[in-house]
Amino acid sequence: MKSGHIRLISTLVAILFALPFSFNWATGFYNWLSPFILLNSFFLLKSLVILNILGFVVLGFSFVKNRWFCRYLCPVGLGCDMVSKISPIKSSYMKKVPALARWIYIISLLAALLEIPVFIVLDPMAIFNGFFSVFAEPFSWIVLISMLGLPFLLLLHLIFPNFWCTKICPLGGLMDDIYLLRRIISRKTDSINYNSLKTSRRLFLAGGAGIAAGIVIPKFLHGNQIKKLKPPASLHEPLFSTVCIRCGSCIKACPGKILIHDTSGWMTWMTPELTFETGGYCHEDCNLCGTVCPSGSISPFSIEAKKKLYIATIEIESEKCLLTRQKECDRCKAVCKYNAIEIRSLENSIIMAPEVNLSKCVGCGACSLICPAECIQMVPV
Amino acid sequence: MKRRDFVTRLAAAGGAITLGFGCGRKITSESNPEEYESSKKSSERKTITEPAREIEVIGETDVLVIGGGPAGVAAAIAAARGGAETYLVERYNHLGGLWTGGLVLPYLSTHARDTKNQFRQVIHGLGNEMAQRLFNLGMAIHEVNPVIDPEAGKYVLDEMIVEAGVKMLYHSWGVNAIMDGNTIKGVFIESKSGRQAVLAKVVIDCTGDGDVLHWAGENYENMYYHIGLVHRLGNVNQINKNASGYKKVPVGDPTPIPGVNWVNMHGPNDQDGIDMLNLSRLQLKHRKQIWESVEEIKKVPGHEKIFLLDTASQMGVRMSRILDGEYRLTIEDSMTYKTFDDAIGISGAWTNILYNGKVVNMNERPMWQIPYRSLLPKKTENLLVAGRCFCFEKELVEDTRIIGTCLVTGHGAGAAAARAVAERVTVRDIDRNKLRELLLKQKVWFG
Repeated sequence: MKSGHIRLISTLVAILFALPFSFNWATGFYNWLSPFILLNSFFLLKSLVILNILGFVVLGFSFVKNRWFCRYLCPVGLGCDMVSKISPIKSSYMKKVPALARWIYIISLLAALLEIPVFIVLDPMAIFNGFFSVFAEPFSWIVLISMLGLPFLLLLHLIFPNFWCTKICPLGGLMDDIYLLRRIISRKTDSINYNSLKTSRRLFLAGGAGIAAGIVIPKFLHGNQIKKLKPPASLHEPLFSTVCIRCGSCIKACPGKILIHDTSGWMTWMTPELTFETGGYCHEDCNLCGTVCPSGSISPFSIEAKKKLYIATIEIESEKCLLTRQKECDRCKAVCKYNAIEIRSLENSIIMAPEVNLSKCVGCGACSLICPAECIQMVPV
Repeated sequence: MKRRDFVTRLAAAGGAITLGFGCGRKITSESNPEEYESSKKSSERKTITEPAREIEVIGETDVLVIGGGPAGVAAAIAAARGGAETYLVERYNHLGGLWTGGLVLPYLSTHARDTKNQFRQVIHGLGNEMAQRLFNLGMAIHEVNPVIDPEAGKYVLDEMIVEAGVKMLYHSWGVNAIMDGNTIKGVFIESKSGRQAVLAKVVIDCTGDGDVLHWAGENYENMYYHIGLVHRLGNVNQINKNASGYKKVPVGDPTPIPGVNWVNMHGPNDQDGIDMLNLSRLQLKHRKQIWESVEEIKKVPGHEKIFLLDTASQMGVRMSRILDGEYRLTIEDSMTYKTFDDAIGISGAWTNILYNGKVVNMNERPMWQIPYRSLLPKKTENLLVAGRCFCFEKELVEDTRIIGTCLVTGHGAGAAAARAVAERVTVRDIDRNKLRELLLKQKVWFG
């Protein structure tokens, strides 16, 4: 089978995984394949999880065959190539444009070592999944416009054919250099374009820029952070917003439909935000958001660990509660899967009210959802 | 070398054991300060053997119903109207159980969504007949989930029992099952007349607590739930809202009698409803709390004329034993309009629930069928279980323990018992189609 055919099939699979119909568990699959996300996440968090194997496999293949991922799997690559073909402008004109891909990935990775992977959101898989994640939540223009990265990329290729893949894509740049490394190791130096090695000065500059970015940028990020509800096992802010690649996988995967795109601030723009307004709650038997997150901004966690992963805290307005009005109700206690709610008498009288054990309550929101008197609010911890 | 090995191992073992005990000690749970002296510490319990004695048989009948609550009354009337000679045993001096004596006056849940998503009355049959009689007396209010007057309720139920020709045994406790192998042959009862026996072809357990199924050796789960005590307030129509310093305080909900409100009590969680010492402790505590609560209400300006009319004569035990029967009714059955070949009726729902990760509002809940199999115990022959102790999933408890569902299961069990007597077979072997015919004739609605 030709590489083109394989890539076509791969693209269809990627779209299937990304659309909000089913395969919630696989929604992050293509993000897991990206070594660029993997290395950024690894450099920043200094830790690995089992699914990172996928990224390393792709990295290994790239070592053997240059741009293997781009040729066989990349759905963005397929789209860009198709648009480039129908573009009226000849690609030869693009040769004069300098390639930025290498510098983007180097800056990003070095900055990642120092807390901020500056260009992580430029990963093509993140852009691809991000676009489709628009469909995972109730429609809003603000999210649609924010997520138009993929169509924009494709349109760009009408004017600048092959611009993204050859000049910008940090994933492509990374793979190019991995293959270059292999050729250096195997001493196939005769075929190396020596111009590409005369870069030590630029390399130094890019590295410096990355380190400078890593040192300087976080200083500006510790400003006022509005308290937001985030998925369980999320990194703390502002780390969360800097690592999050905005792929929207968690938003699509969430069976409770409580994750939406955050549109409140430029730092947290398009990161997942947790809300109970959508009429859902955090299911006690689900850990999909942590499983699908490719960047590690939501750590993978076990279902058992959920009992200790606090999402929100609970506020009960006892005056509104049906029990204090002597009506029969125990809904909050009945739905609580963490046994955090007890119904106790107020001052040893016949009036009862729910009482929360905050060390048991993780803030899943089920009680707030079912409460017939709407007297339970979930608030950020 | 060997000795050193031995010493090392000994030390390791000792260390491990110490560590084990140390860890073990940490796991103890917090003790509840409200913990009462449980009567169940069997190892410390002192016992005495009662001598065997001859027991007088005061009746031999077709159908014997133990417990005169909503389920028991419906069962007795349905059986008697179905042509069976019927005895009804009741421990208190009134019929209706928690509905009347327990002052749990609302008859939930008469309405639900039908298959066309229309909100409509789903409980017909005997429950509807009782409600209609109470409406005719002017002693019921609200069309959906009627609230009745307890004394009128007792009167109407007495009237219906007498009309149906049921032999009524008031002031009598069922105390043990009379078994012949796996078949129940009757029940020992106890009263001022001493211990007596009633023999029957079919016994219906309408005790609510599943006493008969327990004696018969059936498997069950004892569910701990909240136990309260309902009371009524008088003169609530004489609250002076213009009094200086007037403040709104909860005074319960209206009853058919003007000026009289019934006041629900949720009561403490996780209570054992079949432990006499626990019930006694709660009884004392609740009555004191009610008195103090009414005194507090009277102190609020404008509420001076309010008085405590009565506390319920029965403790509000909401749940206790749940039968492990032939079929366990699930929450899914209740949410998916599941139909059963052997349905005995339809009930409604009155609570919000979480189903498949979504909240289903009480007014959006579908009606649900109850299969005859969920009233049948697994082992015992000729025993039926109706009322809140029949076989269902615990998640469904709010909709199975209510008056309406008890009336439906009681009605079904009574009619089935009459069919078993007429067909001369065990209750397990009755013709389910004939049962349905009889229930239809008795105006049960099947959707």
